[in-house]
Amino acid sequence: MSGFETAAVAGHKRKRAVTKSDRKSTKTKTRRKSASPEELDHQAEILQLEAQIVESRRHYNNIATLLQKATGQGEKNEILAAVALCRVFSRLMSAGDMTKSKGMPESEVVIVQWLKDRYKEYVTLLLEEHFQSESGAKQSTALALLMRLVKQESGQKDFNWKRSHLRRVVEGLLTLPEGDSIRQEFAEKYLTKFDDVRYHTLESISSAMEYEYKEPTASLVKANGLTLLMALENAPASKDDLDNFFGERPTQSKSQLFSLQSHKARAQEAWLAVLRSGLSKEQRKTVLGAFTHQIAPWFQQVEMLMDFLTDSYNVGGATSLLALSGLYYLMSEKNLDYPSFFQKLYSLLDDTLLHSKHRSRFFRLLDTFMSSTHLPAALVASFIKRLARLALHGPPAGIVVVVPWIYNMFKRHPTCTFMIHREIRDPEIKKELEAEGMDDPFDMEEEDPMLTDAIESSLWEIETLQFHYHPNVATLAKIISEQFTKRSYNLEDFLDHSYNALLEAELDRDLKKPPVVEYEIPKRIFSADEGGTGPLGELLGKVIAMS
Amino acid sequence: MPPSQLKRLKASLREQGITGPQKSKKEKKNNRKGDNADQRAKKHAALASIRESFNPFEFKHLARPKKFEVTTNRPQNGKVVLGRPGVSKSQGEELRRKTLLPELHKKNKIGGILDRRIGENDPTMTLDDKMMARFTREQEKKKGVSVFDLEEAEDEFELTHGGQAVQFEAEDDDVKDDYDAASLAGSSDEEAGMLRRKRRRDSDAEGEDDAEGGEDKPERKKSKAEVMKEVIAKSKLHKYERQQAKEDDDELREELDKDLPNVLAALRGHIMKPPPPPPTAAAASTGAPKSNDFSMNADRAALLAGNKTREQADKEYDVRVRQMLQDQRAKPTERTKTEEEKAKEEAKRLKELEEKRLRRMKGEEESESEEDLKEDNDEDEDEEESEADDAKEFGLPSVHQGTRPEGVEDEDDFLMDDDLIATDSEADMSDEEEEDDSEDDALDMDDDDEFLKDVRPESSKPKDTKLDVDGATPGKLAYTYPCPQDPHELVEVLKDVEYSDYPVVIVRIRTIYHPGLASGNKEKLGNFACALVDHISYMASHKAPLAVVEQVIRHIHSLSRTYPVEIATRFRHQLKLLLASNDPTAGDLAILTAIGTIYPTSDHFHQVVTPAITLMARWLGLSTPQGAKDIATGAYLGALCIKYQAISKRYIPELVRYTNLALKSAYTTTDLLKEHTKNLLSMADLWASKSAFYEIFAPSIPILAANNKCKSAHQRLSILLNNATLHRRPLELHHHRPLPIKSNIPKFEENFDPNKHYDPDKDRAEANRLRKEFKREKKGAMRELRKDAHFIAREQLKEKKERDRRYEEKYRRLVAEIQGEEGREKNAYEREKEKRERAKGRS
Repeated sequence: MSGFETAAVAGHKRKRAVTKSDRKSTKTKTRRKSASPEELDHQAEILQLEAQIVESRRHYNNIATLLQKATGQGEKNEILAAVALCRVFSRLMSAGDMTKSKGMPESEVVIVQWLKDRYKEYVTLLLEEHFQSESGAKQSTALALLMRLVKQESGQKDFNWKRSHLRRVVEGLLTLPEGDSIRQEFAEKYLTKFDDVRYHTLESISSAMEYEYKEPTASLVKANGLTLLMALENAPASKDDLDNFFGERPTQSKSQLFSLQSHKARAQEAWLAVLRSGLSKEQRKTVLGAFTHQIAPWFQQVEMLMDFLTDSYNVGGATSLLALSGLYYLMSEKNLDYPSFFQKLYSLLDDTLLHSKHRSRFFRLLDTFMSSTHLPAALVASFIKRLARLALHGPPAGIVVVVPWIYNMFKRHPTCTFMIHREIRDPEIKKELEAEGMDDPFDMEEEDPMLTDAIESSLWEIETLQFHYHPNVATLAKIISEQFTKRSYNLEDFLDHSYNALLEAELDRDLKKPPVVEYEIPKRIFSADEGGTGPLGELLGKVIAMS
Repeated sequence: MPPSQLKRLKASLREQGITGPQKSKKEKKNNRKGDNADQRAKKHAALASIRESFNPFEFKHLARPKKFEVTTNRPQNGKVVLGRPGVSKSQGEELRRKTLLPELHKKNKIGGILDRRIGENDPTMTLDDKMMARFTREQEKKKGVSVFDLEEAEDEFELTHGGQAVQFEAEDDDVKDDYDAASLAGSSDEEAGMLRRKRRRDSDAEGEDDAEGGEDKPERKKSKAEVMKEVIAKSKLHKYERQQAKEDDDELREELDKDLPNVLAALRGHIMKPPPPPPTAAAASTGAPKSNDFSMNADRAALLAGNKTREQADKEYDVRVRQMLQDQRAKPTERTKTEEEKAKEEAKRLKELEEKRLRRMKGEEESESEEDLKEDNDEDEDEEESEADDAKEFGLPSVHQGTRPEGVEDEDDFLMDDDLIATDSEADMSDEEEEDDSEDDALDMDDDDEFLKDVRPESSKPKDTKLDVDGATPGKLAYTYPCPQDPHELVEVLKDVEYSDYPVVIVRIRTIYHPGLASGNKEKLGNFACALVDHISYMASHKAPLAVVEQVIRHIHSLSRTYPVEIATRFRHQLKLLLASNDPTAGDLAILTAIGTIYPTSDHFHQVVTPAITLMARWLGLSTPQGAKDIATGAYLGALCIKYQAISKRYIPELVRYTNLALKSAYTTTDLLKEHTKNLLSMADLWASKSAFYEIFAPSIPILAANNKCKSAHQRLSILLNNATLHRRPLELHHHRPLPIKSNIPKFEENFDPNKHYDPDKDRAEANRLRKEFKREKKGAMRELRKDAHFIAREQLKEKKERDRRYEEKYRRLVAEIQGEEGREKNAYEREKEKRERAKGRS
């Protein structure tokens, strides 16, 4: 990082006197006193070469020497050489020594051309060697230098973002191996900060996605593109937010950089490009998880994602759970009509739901979906019954969500309360019931919630849960059989419980009063009356033997 | 045009018959002879009314007459007189002249003479009245008691005749009034006096009151006197009755006393016990002289007779006293109970304990007042929270734990607990001992000792094969051990001891460091108990024989009667470790087993059991069998869970899940499969009465069917499921009385009074009333003060005018005097001059 710092410092001081910049570099030198004498020589040499270039045009050939020094000379020297070169080129560029003008003598043109060639060579060197290197310091220095040069270039007259090497930087970022920290750095320092960088990066990503890479790279590019895009968090809300520019501020007021639409269009393109490239299951889940708050705001036409979402929803399992929120977003905001939505929702209620880590998220949405009082009672009853079934085998945290939810449903749909109170008055049916008992009319296998006959059934499951081993759960389940005096339970309070929360809450508490002790001291625990070990002892013996 | 004022006056006079045609002498005479006073009064009244009706400023009416007919429940006729400004003004003026004026005159003047003479300023008092008043005042001064003290006054100075009070009715009040006024006037505190006078003036200012008061006074006077008379008479009567009763009692007592010697003789003749309490009491009350009659001690008699020396007698006396003291102590408190009674008592105790347990199982609060209080406190706190969080109501921890430091709520309770430990004896520490509240600490200890004895033969049984008696053991064992204070020390102590000797060592440590033996032992033994808890886990994981672990658990059980908090905390600590690791080792299993036996697992909530079973359920719910060891652990935990729920039969969903998984698992050996099927069947038995039995066990059926080895279990479960279907009925949970529909009919007030404020908030209404009253009073006071100021100004002006007038007069007089003198002198001069001129002319 120190290299990058030097570069940054040098960059800031560029416009000041050269001597000052020199002083800076000497400072850098002193800072690296720990280096070996040989290295010190190299550094001194590099600095000398740089100073000579600044001094006179005669020493332009030093640039070539420095370029050589920037490769294969050990990390520190390479970084130093690269930084020196960056300074040199920045200075040359700002002095106008690298632009051809009309009335220039031939010899000058040759020099400019030569300088330009060296510059290109330098950039390529940075991109292909430093940027791709394993060393984090080198990488981040290269990134800083490249971005610095982009900034410098953007001040030039004939600068074009499209032809600038930002695109190549982005491509480099995309092809770097997964999990490289440099992408994070880029996202933090440039992508999320500067509107113009973002704009052009998005453009580059979408064009990079169109390029057909070979297989290992292709998936790499895909994953990296996704990571970069996921780093974008808050979409600009209005035009006024677009005022943070990395390069020169565009002069025309109609520039695309000032248009929110074009920003969004770029983002949308990039996202679509990434999504089109085919995502893995995990990637899909990440996208779905971030959909409503991170991705959708970047889209001008969210409808374009309809198919993606419906497809994800049809996958089943956790993916469906995650797609639900996106789908809900489309339905509520964009008027999407999803056929047999409730049937699909019903099918999401499976064994894994109450154990799933997306449980609270799902229940929040479920509560929203089921909040209408105009839903058919049969449908509501199916949901209630199915969730009760699941709760019967679920963990306490799941039961604790389901019970208040069911209560709220009963409050909203009083017709369903037949499920907790059904008096049989017909004497014939009564007799039949006495003779044969009854099967649960509810059909767990039926997929259509309108046809499950749940409303004919009773909530024996919840009644059984009133005898749950955990006192709090048992007490909570009792609300179903008490008078419904409370208007509704705030589901949010019940969502995020877990075994650990329940246990920690109890165990972290100090004992308020002495616990009750069993009054009878049992004669036998492990042993049996007639001598030898009892069943428990035998079993424990087995366990001990196994461990 | 209406007739002139004069004409109208004449007309009205004539109407009233005041003026009229001249009456003849005869008629006049007749009139005079008859009720002429009456006539005159009538005439006065008529004249007054005429006078009033001709003065338009005499009455205050409504500012303008009523315009329309309106219906109102306020009686309101237009003619109503709102006030008599003239009258009240003159009254006020009069009053001020009486009270304020003297004050004004007295202002800035010191000293003076107070007239305390009785009746001097009251010309209506007769001489007798004055004498009487003087007499009463003297009496009161002598007594020095309050005027209002009825009881005292009655005793001495009430003249009664045959229980009836004799009183001079009329003067009584007058006298008092006079005295009041006198004492008021005499009060030296000027300001207080002024205030009081103002008060009186205020009340007087209300004209109507005055008018009514005049009529009421004689009536009230009489009734008051009557009441007094009655009260006095009644108390006299009571007093007389009391005296009568006392005399009767005395007589009766004397009669009884006469019989006493006989009774005593009879007692002495038959029973050798000390005399029963009533006679002694009687003897004491009747006093010493009588005792002489019947209870002369033989020794004393001897002493009196001079048979023994004084010294000897003293010695003997001392011995006797000591003997008596000892006698008292040795007196048996209760007789020994028979075996049957003991058994009955024990059965009763057990029944009570069982009832308590049942109550706890249902989650009902215990009735101990202290605990209730604590519980209440907690609930209060909770209630505050619950406004925000529905889940809190059900004891679910707040999800947003970051926002509130967990400890805060408990801090107070912790302090309280601390206190409790410090001050309370063991008797309160555990429920069992609360039972024996009446017994003291020593008895508690005995209880423990009993257990020690109780445990010993048990523990020695397995050893019996090897060792004959306890005494034989110490071949290797030491008699004394240091009391281990933490698990490491315990391990150190037990390092060289055979597992089979552990119980003996523990018994010895418990005996040596018995809390009754030394002051620090209680704490030491507490720490030892905690160390033992840790040691269970240690032993189990070091493969100690289970019989020994069992013995240790039983020791902990007995210790936890004395150290419930310490041991429970230690268990909870162990649970916390398991919570963190989530990998139940053999040690953890032993701890869980110990918890299951030491604490009542059927409680609705228990500080140790509930976390323990939740932990087990967590493991069963979150793990999948990864090997034979997991399956075995699962089987053991399953069996343990079933043992936990043997009484309360609570449902554990995780257990069903895990058992199903284990039955399916490839790692399950035949042996373990058997255990798991056994667990499954015990669960089925346990929860047979649950309404969702079918739903709970239906998933297990295909699993059992798939396995050849559990044919019988499959069969049995199928039968149970069929049975469950047969017994299933629709739920009928809501046989509650239907909730009344909320009524929105407004509440009507009978006899509504628009002037009254119907504020449902009593405090606010009261405050409003006070505010209003205050405002009214303030206004009134200000008006009075203003009037006072006007009056004073007027008076001062008057005074000044007077002064000026006098000055003028004096001046004029002086001028006149001077002028007169001057004139005189001038005349004299003139005369002299004339004289001289004349003399000159003459000359």
